[in-house]
Order: sequence, then C-alpha cells, then structure tokens
Amino acid sequence: MQGTLTRDYGPTPITDRMSNHGSKIAKVMIEPGKDLFARAGSMIAYEGLIDFDAQPPQLRRMASSWATGEGVHLMTCTGQGPLYLADYGKEVVVVKLDNEALSINGKNILAFDADLHWGIERVKGVSMLSGMGMFNVVLRGSGWAAMTSRGNPVVLDTREAPTFVDTDALVAFTDGLSVQPRRTARLGGLIGRGSGEAFQLGFSGQGFVVVQPSEDPRPNFSVRG
Amino acid sequence: MVAQFTRGQKSQISAVTAGTDLYVGVHLDAPGDWDISCFGLDVDGKLSNDDYFVFFNQPKSPEESIQLLGAQAGDHESFRVTLDRVPDWIDRLAFCAALDGAGSAAAISSGYFRLVAGGEEVLRYTFSGTDFTAERAVMIADLYRKGVWRVAAVGQGFAGGLAELIRSFGGEVEDEAPSEPEPAVGSGAVPGFGPPSGAAPSAPAPGFGVPAGAPPAAAASPPAPAPSVPAQSASPAPADTGAGVAGVEPSPAAGQRVQPGAMVSLTKFRETPTVGRWTKQNSKMVKVTLGAEALALRGSMVAYQGDVEFDFKGSGIRGFIENKLTQQGLKLMTCKGTGEVFLAEDASDLHIVELNGDSLCVNARNILAFDTTLNTEVKRIESAGIPGGGLFHLEVSGQGTIVVKTKGPPMTLPVNGPTFGDMNALVAWSVGMRISVSSQVRVTRQIYGGASGEALAMQFMGIGGNHFIVVQPFEV
Repeated sequence: MQGTLTRDYGPTPITDRMSNHGSKIAKVMIEPGKDLFARAGSMIAYEGLIDFDAQPPQLRRMASSWATGEGVHLMTCTGQGPLYLADYGKEVVVVKLDNEALSINGKNILAFDADLHWGIERVKGVSMLSGMGMFNVVLRGSGWAAMTSRGNPVVLDTREAPTFVDTDALVAFTDGLSVQPRRTARLGGLIGRGSGEAFQLGFSGQGFVVVQPSEDPRPNFSVRG
Repeated sequence: MVAQFTRGQKSQISAVTAGTDLYVGVHLDAPGDWDISCFGLDVDGKLSNDDYFVFFNQPKSPEESIQLLGAQAGDHESFRVTLDRVPDWIDRLAFCAALDGAGSAAAISSGYFRLVAGGEEVLRYTFSGTDFTAERAVMIADLYRKGVWRVAAVGQGFAGGLAELIRSFGGEVEDEAPSEPEPAVGSGAVPGFGPPSGAAPSAPAPGFGVPAGAPPAAAASPPAPAPSVPAQSASPAPADTGAGVAGVEPSPAAGQRVQPGAMVSLTKFRETPTVGRWTKQNSKMVKVTLGAEALALRGSMVAYQGDVEFDFKGSGIRGFIENKLTQQGLKLMTCKGTGEVFLAEDASDLHIVELNGDSLCVNARNILAFDTTLNTEVKRIESAGIPGGGLFHLEVSGQGTIVVKTKGPPMTLPVNGPTFGDMNALVAWSVGMRISVSSQVRVTRQIYGGASGEALAMQFMGIGGNHFIVVQPFEV
C-alpha cells in the first residue's frame, strides 16, 4: 500500500507526557499514578489499558459550580498507554506549566494533569455585566495542560500594554492579571458577535492572554440580548 | 497544491509542507548575468559568519544544511535546505539575486521562487520586472524563524546592487572584505563596487574547492527534491522518513524535551512584530496598527491594545457602503484611535492585499477590513437569476490595503480564455474584464452536471493584461 495517508501520518516518538500529533491532536502518555482530566468525549484513540470515568467523585463536588448549559464535562483517564485527544478539529495547544497559574476558558480546556491544583472560577467582570458569567478552569502548579483554539491562536503580552479581548475569542490568560470589563458600545452601536452585550475584558499586569481567531459557535451566555 | 504567493506574503512553512528537507528553486529570466545566493543571517539580520553566505564560490554551509545545487529543472539556481539542521543562531535565510554587468531588475521578464518538498512543488512566488525599477539586486524571498520556520515572499530591490545588499546584511563591506569571501562574488559584478585587492573571485576561500556551478560535494545524495532520511530517523517507523509526519509542528521536534513554563510552550504563538500598518499574525488573524482609521467587519475584533474606539454609526463612507451592501452581509465598523487591533472572523483564512495603485473587485462577503484611504465603489452585477437581484461587490483602488477573507486556501486563476466561477465561490477578480452570467440551463447541464438549479456561474472574459479571478473552496 502506498500513499501519503499511510506514509506520513504514523505515530511520532514519545518524548513527553503531552505532545502534539499534527496541530489538532494531543497525545498524552497515561501512567499509573498520573491520572488525567480530559474533556468528556474528546478521546479519539488509545493504546493499552485506559479507563475513563465521566462521573468521578472528585468532579461531583464541582458539578454544581458549572453553569447550566455551559456544557463542559470532564472525565478522568486512568491506566497505562498513549491516549489521543481532539475536539472537533480545533487546534490543540500543549502547555507545560512551571509553578504558575493559568486560567483557561471552559470551552477551550482539553486536558490537564490531575495533580495540578485546579478549580472552576467565574471570570470577574463578565458576570457583573451579563448576570450569567463565563467559567474558566484555573490550573496552578507544575504539570501539563492542553487547550483548544478554533484557528491558530495568538499570544498577546499584557506587559506591553493593557489588552482588551472579545470574550468570545478569549482562550486563556495568566491567572492573577487584573481584569476589567470595558464597554465600547457607542451611539447605540454594538461590538462583539451578534447583538448581545457589547463589552470586552481588559487585562493588565504581568502575563499574557491567548486569543483565537474565531468566535466559539456555542453560546457564551444562556441569555443573549 | 501549489500555494501561490504574492509579494509581501508570509506563511509558516508547515502550512504548505510538513517536510523540512526543502528544495528551493529560483528562476530568473532577464538579460545579463544574475548571481543567486543565500545569506544565513543571525537574529540581528547580520551575516555574522560568512560560512553561511552560500553562493557559487561557496556551495554549501559547513554542516551542509544549505547546499547550492546549480541550475536544473527549469530553475536558474537551486538550493537544498535542511531546516532542522540549520544552526540555531541562524534566524533567516535570505535568497537574493544580484546582477553582474549592466542592466536593472526592471528588465526581468519573468521569475519565480519556489519550494519543493517530497518531489512536489508546494509554494511559488512569481515576480517580474514590473515590481522593480533600476535596482540591481533583488531580495527574492526569506525562510525565517519565528517560533517555527516561515517563508516570506520579499521581492525587495536594492538600488546599489550586490554592494548595497551585502552592506545591509554584513555592515561595512570594505572593512570586512579582506578577510571575507563574500565581496568576491561582487567583484566585477557591480561597477563602482570596488572590492579591495586580494579578494579576487579566482581565489575562493580555502576549503571550498568546488568550482562555481558544479554540484556540491554532497552530490552523492540526489540533488533533486527527493527527500533524504533525516539524521535522527534511526527508527524504522515509516513516518520518520521523507516528509515526516504531515502537519506535525517542527518546533517540539522529536528527541527534544519541552522546556517547562507556559510562556515557553506558547512561544510559537507569540504576537509577530509589527511590520507596516497591516501585519499578518498567522493565516487567520491580522493586526492593524492604527493611526489612520480603518474599516473592519463588525464583530471581527478579537482583541486590541491601546486606546481604540469602535464606531458603528452609519455615516460617511462607511454608511454609504453599508447601505448598499448590508443585504450582502457587509456591516462595518470604524476603528480609530491609537494602538493595535487584532482582527479575525470565524477562523477564515486572511489575505492582506496591498493595492499600490491597482484596482481589485472583491465580493462583499469576502471583505474583512480595509484602509479608509482606498477609493471604494460599490458595484453590482445584475442578472435576473441572482438572488437579491445582483451580486454586490466592492471595487477598491488607490493606495492602501484591503484584507480579504476566504474559507479555505483560495485559488487564483489567470483569465486567458473564457473562465467561469461559481458565484458562491467567487472571492475577487481583477478590474476590466467583461463579466456575464451564464445561463442556468447551460451551467447546470454542461458545467455542473447534476448540480441543483441554484448554481450560477459568472463568465469572465479578459483581453490583454494580467486578469485573474480568485475562488475559494467553499460555497456559501
């Protein structure tokens, strides 16, 4: 058999706990004692013995914090072997945290090490304006995380200048940045997607913001004006 | 597919090929004797080690990551570049051509720069003398690092010829000349460029015994684009040979441990430095540096830095355009103030078009943003068959830039004979063609056999000049 399909897309050597296979698939080495949280349903393939539990006890306590309709459900992956994850053809970005904190939009989280300190937090500012809110997964510590982005993301340095981001395009930001909502709607006009509230989040401080070149098709808020 | 690049266009190499073993071909049809060379520049854009000036007297770099292959396969000069063996300190490989003798770059009748990987041409940048005036040297294209390897179609002329070129890379030519081989290529090449004695072209630097134009010493490996097995591919996995795993980013290369730190992991997604008013961040996002106002599709702002205001009130030029085009989905906002605005829309591919006085017709659906300095005219192709009564488009001309968005990589089709484009896939076309709407019956029966009656093809007839149409692989 010949062709690029069989020739060019084979497995790559495993060097790290998490790596990219192509730009849209994350590869994670699952080992005993090093469990992984992954977006439920993101598994596309695995080798070896891996168990998935979409209702783990650790997560149950968090269930109430998720906004209804937010639709981010995590599963634990335990066992041994390489695990391949993807999310509807989005770009996958693998990040190795080094004793730092990253806040990732709930819609953009793909997987993270279970031994990271993590929590689900409302993004300040969004809730103040819309009444509903935007939920981020905040990861702290040292370990691996994978996030998705619709289209290649761009990292903006907030040390250069305060950065204002459309909430639909926000993927992740350094936890600890100061977040200020800002309205730029003028004269009855509207910015942002559709006809919803018109505001951006302003970030300033020591860190960075990751944005994607697309709005997410899933609704950000349960109620849109 | 061959990606057709235009002057100023940039891309990640991984966007056109997954291979890192590239064949670079330069074709240049012009009177006179042109020397095509490759400069390996450091992060400051300087030729800090002249071993990395690859030209006819020095046909390869020390570790052979850059090799001169000579004329072949229609190319007047060709190189083999093994990207993953290029030393880390090299930030940019600049491919340049310099004229030996009288003449100017304006006399170039045709030329192209192409990348070939795995035996297939993947990228072509076509240029001609109309891009230049009296320049005597041309920076054709760059392969450069910005997190990952990228390619840029430069097309920049240098008035002073090779002397100016080397000076711009290496600084003071005269001072360095006695010890460096690069002025050798310039001796006699450019009148008025007097290399100090001792650097005659007949005295190539020691260690480079290969005569000009001859195959490099590594000619045991096929000089053609055939990919060779990378050094580290001892593994029998078939994916390790040739082009490597398609789509796998070269930066976290096999065997190379990832450094910890979120910022380190995200380095390849860093904001690219501002170059001019419109800067492409990646294939799907552009940055506009405000000063003068810009018009952008409403809702296309993903982020901004600085003091920027977005105005939605329909007035002036924007209101005029919008009134006519609203039904075609063009709702614009004015971006003004100072700072940088990042624009993207629905992960569409974005293309920055500098008009430089030319004119272009763009489908209203494919406009992302443009300078207010452009002359714009709303036009309509009328036909009873078109839903809404006509195809609205914007004819833009003058000095400025327009950003065109396409779903998927587009195709630019030169119009020689009658050319047909599906109305739903049309992105842009050159001004001055005769456009007619093909009758539905003919279209459905003969061209789109089996298509539903909705398909409408526009027929383009161009006489003389370089007429083209651009279509996208996505029918709205």
